[in-house]
Amino acid sequence: MISLYEVSKRYGDHIALHDVSLTIGKGDFCYVTGPSGAGKSTLMKLLYGAERCTSGTVMIGGTNIANLPRRQIPLLRRNMGIVFQDFKLIPSRTVGENVAMALEVLGAEQSDIDRRVRAILGTVGLKGRERDLPATLSGGEQQRVAVARALVNDPAIMLADEPTGNLDGAMAIEVIEILRAVHVRGTTVLLATHDTALMDRFPAPQIRLRSGRLARV
Amino acid sequence: MSKMRHLFRRTFRSAWENFYLNSVSAGVICAATLLVGLFLTVMFNLNRIVDTWDRDVHISAYFEHDVPVDVRFQILEEIGAMTEIAQARYVSEEDARLYLEERIPDVRPVLEELGAEVLPASIEIAVHEAYTSPTALTNLVEGLYRPEFTDIDYGREWVERFNTFLSLLQLLGLILGGLIAIAAVFLVANTIHLVVYSRRDEIEVMRLVGATDTHIAIPFLAEGALQGIAGALLAWLGLIGLHSLLIVRLQEALMISIADQPLQALPPQECLALVGLGMTLGILGSAGAVSRFLREVP
Repeated sequence: MISLYEVSKRYGDHIALHDVSLTIGKGDFCYVTGPSGAGKSTLMKLLYGAERCTSGTVMIGGTNIANLPRRQIPLLRRNMGIVFQDFKLIPSRTVGENVAMALEVLGAEQSDIDRRVRAILGTVGLKGRERDLPATLSGGEQQRVAVARALVNDPAIMLADEPTGNLDGAMAIEVIEILRAVHVRGTTVLLATHDTALMDRFPAPQIRLRSGRLARV
Repeated sequence: MSKMRHLFRRTFRSAWENFYLNSVSAGVICAATLLVGLFLTVMFNLNRIVDTWDRDVHISAYFEHDVPVDVRFQILEEIGAMTEIAQARYVSEEDARLYLEERIPDVRPVLEELGAEVLPASIEIAVHEAYTSPTALTNLVEGLYRPEFTDIDYGREWVERFNTFLSLLQLLGLILGGLIAIAAVFLVANTIHLVVYSRRDEIEVMRLVGATDTHIAIPFLAEGALQGIAGALLAWLGLIGLHSLLIVRLQEALMISIADQPLQALPPQECLALVGLGMTLGILGSAGAVSRFLREVP
């Protein structure tokens, strides 16, 4: 599903990733871990096309996205769900509207959008909260809205970059349990974190980075 | 259908949420189109006046004093028979004197002192409308020349000078209009850039969920078009207001009566073109701002 071959990424003189090669199979759940500055976020950005690698090959579903034309990137992202530490919710939009954004870009019918938004909010435990504004939700609930938005169009790949970084223990566990459930449904999940307690609680293969190099798979 | 509904919803929602910035953009477009509209109004009225003068082309052919009266009437007949001529009328020295005295009573003592025949006899000629263009008129006057005439006056020099002045005014208008349009696009682009910037997070999220540049840009372009239409409609109202409140009163106060007709407001077709201009300015400004911003967001 995801393969990297000798991928390097430089920002000027700084090397963020150096000759990273790895493979993640379809339907896998694995952690991308390492200390701050190890290159976890850079790796994630390469995978969803926010950055281009300086050298190497990034294959996703048989396509090398390292050379993907800019106009093709939205199509790549429509097959991915992306979750961030800071949730990236629009404060002026309701929970339902935030989630619906992922379907609106696909040109889905409003009735279909409404139905799928209600369903996915039920899945993440936020049934009936469609009309609430994000500011009225707890951190864990906001992250669950972000997860719902990432999942609403049934992506093949889920990328989560430090999704529990802003959450306390119980809320973090709730979010990881949702991601584990997503994985059980067959979605490939790549979760960047440096939270060892969570990784111990929910064991899974780890891609460990250190100073931009692959330390262990 | 669903896409159109999303487009309208996003456009009007954004227009409402960014009401202040959108008002500023619409105001800039209003000012620009108002200036262009004022210039067009001036040009429109000047052209109307010139058209009227063209239609009322009047030629005076003045006789030498020693031309016998029967020759004068023979020439009058020849000229009257020409296809270009609508009417030809003989004016004797006496008729000319009476006409001038009637118009300017104070001139009588001067005329008496200068003698009865100080004003020459003439043929006053009205030309058919089809032959009033400068070229046709020049050709016609060449055909009228006879040794019995001392001079033929049709105000050519003055009309040509005025036409040159109008051409210069049009050129100046084009240059000024162009500069105003560029300034408006620049200002609108910067204002809309602020609107776009205020929605940076939303655009970033849209990018992350797979929105294409077109999907992101279209509501902003529609918003620009709305601003342009709103601004230009305000300018249209402004033009009507200026005409009815200012120009008409000014004309009355100063007793200006050029070509015996009041100065008119810009016709609806030209005003609709102004609305089109405003909409174009809004779309161009938005396109500039959004394309610049989309390049910045990964």
